[in-house]
Formats: sequence, C-alpha cells, structure tokens
Amino acid sequence: MKLSAIRPILLLICKELAIASLLLLGVSFIVFIILFLSPGDPFSLLLKGQMASDTIGAGTREALGVPTAWYAQYLSWLSNILRGNFGTSIRTGLPVLSEVIRVGINTLYLTIGSMLVTLLLAVPIAILSARRGMTVFNWTSTIFTYIVSALPVFWFGYIVIYISMHQFGLFPLAFGSSSQKIGWLYFMPPVLVLGIGNGTISEVVRYLREEMERVFSEDYIRLARAKGASIWKHSLKEGFLIPITEIIASKIPFILGGAVVVEQVFNWPGMGRMAWQAAQDRDYPLIMGITIVAAIIVRLGSLIKSVVYIIVNPRASQE
Amino acid sequence: MKRYSQYSTNVSDFSDVPFWKKAGTMDLVYVSYGIFIVILVIVSYILGAFNLLPFDPHEINIKLLMAPPKTAGHILGTDFMGRDILSRLIIGIQAYFLPGLLAIAIALVIGTCFGILAGYWGGGFDTAITYINNLLNSFPRLVLILLMVAAFKPDIYYIMVIVGITNVPVVASLIKGKIQFLKQKYFIEAATALGLKNRIIIFKHILWHNCRSVLIIQATLGMAEAILMETSLSYLGFGVQEPIPSWGNMVLSGANYFMQGKFWPSTAPALAILFTIMGFHLLGDGLNNILEMKRSK
Amino acid sequence: MSIAPVLKIENLRTYFYSRSKEAFIRSVDGVNLEIDKGETLGIVGESGSGKSITALSTMGLISAEPGVIIGKIRLTTESVQKDLLQDLNNYVKINTSPGRIMEVYKDNSGWQKYTDRMMRGIRGKEISMIFQNPKVSLNPFITIGKQITESIMLNTPIKNRNEAKDRALYWLEQVKIDSPRLRYNNNPHGLSGGMCQRAMIAMALSSEPSLLVADEPTTGLDATIQSKIVSLLAELKSSVGVTAMLISHDINVIMELSDKVAVMYGGTVLEHGPAKDILTEGSLYKHPYTEALLASIPNEQHIREKGYLQAIKGDVLDTINIPEGCRFHARCNKITDRTREQCEHIEPDLKEVFPGHSVRCWLFVDS
Repeated sequence: MKLSAIRPILLLICKELAIASLLLLGVSFIVFIILFLSPGDPFSLLLKGQMASDTIGAGTREALGVPTAWYAQYLSWLSNILRGNFGTSIRTGLPVLSEVIRVGINTLYLTIGSMLVTLLLAVPIAILSARRGMTVFNWTSTIFTYIVSALPVFWFGYIVIYISMHQFGLFPLAFGSSSQKIGWLYFMPPVLVLGIGNGTISEVVRYLREEMERVFSEDYIRLARAKGASIWKHSLKEGFLIPITEIIASKIPFILGGAVVVEQVFNWPGMGRMAWQAAQDRDYPLIMGITIVAAIIVRLGSLIKSVVYIIVNPRASQE
Repeated sequence: MKRYSQYSTNVSDFSDVPFWKKAGTMDLVYVSYGIFIVILVIVSYILGAFNLLPFDPHEINIKLLMAPPKTAGHILGTDFMGRDILSRLIIGIQAYFLPGLLAIAIALVIGTCFGILAGYWGGGFDTAITYINNLLNSFPRLVLILLMVAAFKPDIYYIMVIVGITNVPVVASLIKGKIQFLKQKYFIEAATALGLKNRIIIFKHILWHNCRSVLIIQATLGMAEAILMETSLSYLGFGVQEPIPSWGNMVLSGANYFMQGKFWPSTAPALAILFTIMGFHLLGDGLNNILEMKRSK
Repeated sequence: MSIAPVLKIENLRTYFYSRSKEAFIRSVDGVNLEIDKGETLGIVGESGSGKSITALSTMGLISAEPGVIIGKIRLTTESVQKDLLQDLNNYVKINTSPGRIMEVYKDNSGWQKYTDRMMRGIRGKEISMIFQNPKVSLNPFITIGKQITESIMLNTPIKNRNEAKDRALYWLEQVKIDSPRLRYNNNPHGLSGGMCQRAMIAMALSSEPSLLVADEPTTGLDATIQSKIVSLLAELKSSVGVTAMLISHDINVIMELSDKVAVMYGGTVLEHGPAKDILTEGSLYKHPYTEALLASIPNEQHIREKGYLQAIKGDVLDTINIPEGCRFHARCNKITDRTREQCEHIEPDLKEVFPGHSVRCWLFVDS
C-alpha cells in the first residue's frame, strides 16, 4: 500500500485515539466525583485514626500541601494517575496498579476465553438460522439462547462445579496451587460458565443474524449470485467480520461484569474478585484502580473495533 | 394455475388487520409467555405485600431442615433453617419489584427528556448524549456499582437509581433516533406549520403516537436488567441481606448444600430468576418484533 | 427447421404473497416471450409492470418473500438445455380454507439451495446480468478488477490468475474505461456511477454468456452518462454480438438497442413484435397503451404538436386487485362501443395481427 492510501486511515485512527482518551478523561472524572462525594475522601481515610480531630486533620492537609478545592484535588489526583500512581491499597498496603495488573492478567484470560466460547456458540447458530429461515432448528436454537441468556451465572457455576467435582474429581479451589500440567483443566470450567452464562448470547445471535440477513439482501450479494460466485466470500467482510468485532467490543463490559460473579463462584484470583473484596473492605484506591483499568480495557476493545472497521471498509477513509 | 388466482381477490385493508394477525406465531408465544410472567410477578408481589403466604417466610423450623419439595405442606420444601422456600420466593419479589420500577422510571423519564432534547433540537445535545452514552458504556455495570458500594454503602434503592441512570443513554438514543426518523417524514414540520404548540407536538404526536412502544419495550428490558442486578448483588452480599429474602441471597445460602448434592434450596430461586428474566426478555423482544414491525421470518 | 430460441418463457407467473393483505400480488401474470440467438429483446413498461421480476425469475434470484413461480423458462444454448423453473413449486406450501389463503409457507433455504444447484453453470456462465444502480450492486469491499477477475475465473476456461487479469483489463478497455490499469485497483466507492456501470458491463460480458440480461442499465445515471452507456451498449452489441434481454422504462433506450420489443403492463405482455413496427408512430396495428407510451416521450415533435407533454391518465395497475377484462381498459382512450362489453369483462388473448407481431387488444379482433 502506498503512503497516500495509508494516510487517511492513520488520520482516522488518530481521531479514534483522541475520542478514546476524551472518554477515559470522563471516566476518571466520574470516578473522582464518586470518591470525592463519598463520606470520607481517600485522603482523610488514609489519615483516619492517625489524627485526633477534624481540625487537626485539616491542618495536616494544608501542611502537606494537599489542595482542598475539588478541581485542584482532581488535577493532582489525575496527574498522579497519569504517572501510574494509583495509590496504595488500604487493606494490603501494596501499590494498587501493580496489584491490579497482577490479577488483571487472570481476568484477561477469563474474558478472552469466555468471549471465544460465546462466539463459538453464537456464530454457528446465527449463521445457520440466517440461512435457514424459520425452521425447527431456528426456533429451538432461539429458545435455547433465551434460556441461556437468562441463566443466573452463579447457579450455573455451581452446576459446573458440582459436575466437575463429582464426575472428574476436580476442585476449582485448587487454582494456582495445582501443577502446571493440568492447569487448563481448572481453567476450563470458569471460562465455559462465563462464556455461556454472561447473558449476552441471545443478543449476539440476534445481532449477527440480523446483520447477516441485511447483508444477504444487499444488491451486491444479488450480483454475486447472478455471476455464480460464492455469497459467503462476498458477504464475509460486511456480514461477518465487521459485526463480530462490533459485538465483541460492545459486550466486553458485560463480560467483565459477569467476571465479578464468576470469579467469586470459582475463587478465581482475578480483578472481579479483587473488586468484590475491595467493595467489602471499602478499599477505595483499589476499587478505583480496578474501575479505571476495566474502563481502559473496554475502550481498548472499542478502539480495536474502530481500527478493524476503518481498515476493512474502504469507504470509511473516504467519507 | 387457477387455484392461486382465484383466492387473490380477498383483500382486506392493511389497517383493518389487527396487529396480532400480522405478527409471527413465535412472537405471539413470546409475548404471551412474557405477559404470563408479568402477571405472576405482580400477583405474587401483591400476595407478599398483604402477607398472604402459605407460611411465615421468617419462621425457623429446626425439625424440618432442608426438606425436599412436598413435605408437610411445604410445596417447594424448606431451606437450611427450615424456612418455607415458596413463601420466601414470593416475598423475595419485594426485593426487586419497587426498586426495579424506580430504575425503570428514572431511565424512561430522564432518557425521554434527553432524547427529545437531542432529537428535537439536536446539535450540542446530540453530541453530548453520544458522549455520555459511550462514557457510561465504558464501565462494566457491576464494577461501577461495586465502586458505589465501596464509596457509599448504598441500599438497594440507591443501587437501582444507578442502574436507572446507566440506562438513561440507551433510552435517550432510541427516542432520539425515533424523532430524527420522524423528522424526515416532515409531519413535525407540518404540525409546526399548522401552528401546533411544541408541547403538543412532543407529547401527543411524538411521544404518545410514535414512541410508546419503544418505551414499553425499554421498560420490560429494564426490569429484566434490574432483576439481574439485584440478584447478582444480593448473591455477592451487597444487595438485600439475610434474613430478608431475595432470590440472589437464597441461591447463595443454598450454595454449600448444593455441593453436598442437596440442590433444591438454591435451584428453586435460580429457576425463579431464570424464568422471570427470560419472561421479561421475551416480552420485550416479542413486543419489539410485533410493534416495531420487524417480523421474524 | 428453425433453431430453438435461446430463451423461451412460457406462461410465467410470479406471485408474491402479502401476509398483511392476505392476498397474492401478481407481479408477473402469464408472460410469454422468446429471444432468438443474436437478437435483442427490449421489454418496456411503466414501473411495477413486472419487467424486472421477469428478469429476476429467469435468473432464479427471487428468494426472500413467500410466493409462487409457475410456468416454463426454457434455456437452449450450445451446452445447456434446461427448464429453469422445474420442480420449484415443491418448496411452497399453501394452506387454504374455502376461498381464502390462510398462509403461504415457503421453504426459503430449500428453495434457495435448489435454485442454486439448478442454476450452477447457468448463472454467470450462460446468462449474465447487469443491474440498475451500479454503485450499490458492485461489492464495495472488493476492487472492481478483482470482481471481474473472479467472474472470469469462475465462468470461462481461463483458470490462471494472471491470464484472467489480462482478460479483465481487455474487457475494461472494451467498455472504454479510461486508464483501465488504474481503475483495476479501485474500489467501486472511488468511481463514478457511469464508471461503475461500465465495470459491471465488463464483468457481465467477461464471462462470455449466451444471454445477457440487462435490467434498467441506465437508470440512476446522469442523462449524459445514460446516452454514453447506451451508445456503448449499441457498439458492444455489434462488436461482440450478444443475445440480450434489455429491460427499461425508457423507450429511447429500447428504440436504440432492441430488435424486438415486448410491451408489458400489469404483469402481462400487451404487445410483442419487431421494434420497427411497434416503436414507430403511425403503424396500423398498435395497442392503445403502446400508443400512449409513445405519445408520452418528451421529444421536440410532441411538444411542438401539442404544446404540453401528454401523460397516460390514471394509475399503474394494482396487481392485487386485477380487474376483469382487459387490464388496460380503465385507462384506455380507444374503447369503442363495439368492444366496450368485451373490454370490460373478458381479457383478450395475445393475437398475431401480422407475422411476428401480436397484440392483446379487442380492437384487432374481428367479431
């Protein structure tokens, strides 16, 4: 590709980056406002118990140079965050960022794995029902996706644990301490549970099917049929690639939310479980860090989606 | 040949055909199941509110722990403290019913206002709605709520306010899209030209005639989400706390016994969650297919 | 013995079932057409007269809606002799209660699979099609060069990619696209409508079909581009020598390009014959509808004579409620007292008034 062809694409990607950073700024602001409004801001919580009274606390604030106006507090907090300083966890005293990243990897495995499971389940159903119309297969699969989407993921987790315990003798509590060799066996149940039970399958199927049906009725697909070409090949990009990236990006928040419950059920040492623990302990810096990292993951997914769209679709760079 | 053409003279006008005749069979099944669930929930809520229950949901019966269904008048059995599961299921509706309605009300009212602002006057409002929508979609809902839990220790009503607020942009963008679509059809301009007041155009012609189905659909889907949130949070221990029953904490309290092979105490509320959420989903999607004329083929 | 026509459509009926109106929309209602080798048949008529549906039925491209296709479409070429509609109706089920159709059920996937199997080796290879609105008909995600190359590799003996590319460039030159090497790598989005239409024509011709179906090839283009496309088609017609079915609502296009003409109205053919007989004014036997159509062409002569453009009064036929009698009688200005009774109650047959020229009108039936 020549430079002239790449430049509009690069420009668009820069624009998407700008939008993403603007949104992350908004995210940080919302998080800050919540913490600011909460009874006892992070600062005073850190000093809690060390100061005899409020007035002394306020004095210490001033002496330490901690700003009191909210916007000044926000700016100093934001600059800390931008430098990677998310503070230290109240409970463990460890720096938040490294903690979150340590467990975030586990959550990323879980998220990506369960996304794959969701797609492996949803895509064939969508393709078959898009091509077949209202057949027995279609409505049974539709009912199936509705049931699966309404399944309470924690209870589904219990079933899977029960089965894996009694049928395969696996104890999910042993995660991490088990030998590397059979590690993936412990890995599978939570991934399956979150992949199936995250409550998005019916929407994914519906969206993919509608997009496919729409593309199949496009004029250019009719032309492809008229010249005897494979309609799958011609509909691949618009009917499959773009909707899939679209749906992956838009379902990341749901899967991360579901991860909180699934990690709780399976004792999976990830971000969700840490968030639960932090909420239990009212560990502000930690839950704040987790929220921001989760938002960054969501935005990253959405950025990837936009980039795929721009690269795949030649129209995007000319509009 | 003849047999096809001879029938074709039976023509009824499009508007005469009642909407259920135009609808697909599946959609009608969806909607009737959904309505059945809604009625069941409302009736159970009223029963619970007037305390018309088979047993006292808080009465502990040490003699009858973990009883299987249909023992001694307990239709669904008893839990680990010998409390009647059916009564607790019925009273468990209290945990999400009013909070859920609050979440729906917030989402619909604020969302509609924003949607009208963005669709009718456009410009900056439109950009703002898109931005806020993307902003709120950046948070996994549950993580955001856990942040609120850590910050405020809110009760279920406050949590539902947050759920409602996170749904505002969804409703707003739907209403906005609807208004922009209507604007293309010029009848808003025509109404303005006829000298109708903006207030009347908005409330009567836009909201009542063209947006009510969207709002009804969003209300049902909003209820499904409210139930999901409430049960998830109660399961995690942040929503409704024992001994007040909620379907979520009932699943949790039955969990240990589940692993021992006593499935019932946590399966009963789990199935209640499953069928209720499915009912609201099916109702919403079925109504969407029927009212918005997107018939499934 | 005469050679069998390339395409012979017999009594084609394509009905769509409208669920909300509980009735069939009779888009094509008993069409008989023939296209001989080397000739161009122009099909003309107002929009909604069933021209495009006839073409799509021929290609087996009607799929989505529930409906019925009956009749015979015989394709006879050097390599294929086939009835394109054989057994299609096994995929449609009609539930009736007395006098009323309750539901039309169409096994869409089965139907589609069956037509795809049946049309394998015919679509593209034997019949190619040019659609209207070239910009949306070409795949926006693939360069036009690749699309033409694909068509060549699928439908001609050329299987080598480089050879196919050379061939594609040859065809791009044939349709007079400027700098074909440059355009070869363009996406349809970067080209103008006329350019896209040329590319589509190149694609259709590149597979060297026995029959070319052109469905409104000039619609949706600017007027100047239209005339350029028409002259291109005329040129290609003489140089390549295709057999073609040309569909247009624009009589000028039909006049320019066709050897024979069929005038369609409300799903049937009202007049069928040599172009020079039908499309010149003042010939003796002419359907009143054709006459009205010719009179409504905006040209200098008409305007000078009348001072205004004459439109055909009334609306296009509602193909759900097809009236008794001649389909055109409500709009006809030629009904005489002699024929009124028949015009309003009995549908006339397509009657040969002249060798090779037939008209569906009571005026030309001697009582």
